Amino acid sequence: MKTRRDVYQAIADPTRRAIINMVAGQPHNVNAIAEKFDMTRQAVSLHVKILTDCGLIIIKQRGRDRFCEAHLQQLSEVSTWVEQYKKHWERKLDALETYVEKLKKERYGK
Amino acid sequence: MLWKLMLKNLKKSDMENKKSSTHDRELRLSRMLNAPVELIWEVWTKPEHIANWWGPNGFTNTIHTMDMVPGGEWHLVMHGPDGTDYDNRSVFKEIIPFKKIVYEHASYPKILATIEIEEHGEQTLINWHMLFDSAEEFIAVAKKHGAEEGQKQNVEKLAVYLKQFANKTKLG
Repeated sequence: MKTRRDVYQAIADPTRRAIINMVAGQPHNVNAIAEKFDMTRQAVSLHVKILTDCGLIIIKQRGRDRFCEAHLQQLSEVSTWVEQYKKHWERKLDALETYVEKLKKERYGK
Repeated sequence: MLWKLMLKNLKKSDMENKKSSTHDRELRLSRMLNAPVELIWEVWTKPEHIANWWGPNGFTNTIHTMDMVPGGEWHLVMHGPDGTDYDNRSVFKEIIPFKKIVYEHASYPKILATIEIEEHGEQTLINWHMLFDSAEEFIAVAKKHGAEEGQKQNVEKLAVYLKQFANKTKLG
């Protein structure tokens, strides 16, 4: 399924990261989430909507209550970016290593 | 893996103590190099040497200033394979000869880099720590590089694919 918003946008905000963290352990009632934050219910609802839009959480109706469940497979995308960025720096170390070897050969002939 | 760690500590970093924790905005690398500490120090600190290995693959470098004292300026330009120049400015924060280099990257992204080198007989262990200003900035930069890397790999794959195709055509 193609998501409408990207995961990066979802986790760029501390409140949304906190919401993800809350629901990662167990599903939470939407109202219970709103009570945890020092902001209006509307503001929290908007954060929940952004998280829902990008597929990181899903809302399930249980009787009269709405529950947020975490759906975190998408976050692997983030760790992939971080891994690739790390590789970029590993290559700098590779280049240093290669250069040092070359220099050693030039100076000591081995 | 890193992200799992980040997630585990989100509550702590975001809700309890915003400034105390750095795990979600840092990168650590280390490498045991097969050369004595003096040589590693030399290739890191002399402009004529660092110009030979700094920057991404396929780039060349011009080091304009490299004043390795606390507060000293480090100005280099990386020349990309397509002719684009990338201006890089940093300020050295701490220099302990043969042991430690700390610099702050002043151009975007803002990074505090700490390079520690340890003598291990004829070998040298290099520990590279990069600390970003914020988790947001770290993720943004990681995303940008990831995307570029992905794009590069796609282009490489395409090139390999086209080559096969060309060979087949020739054979046919």
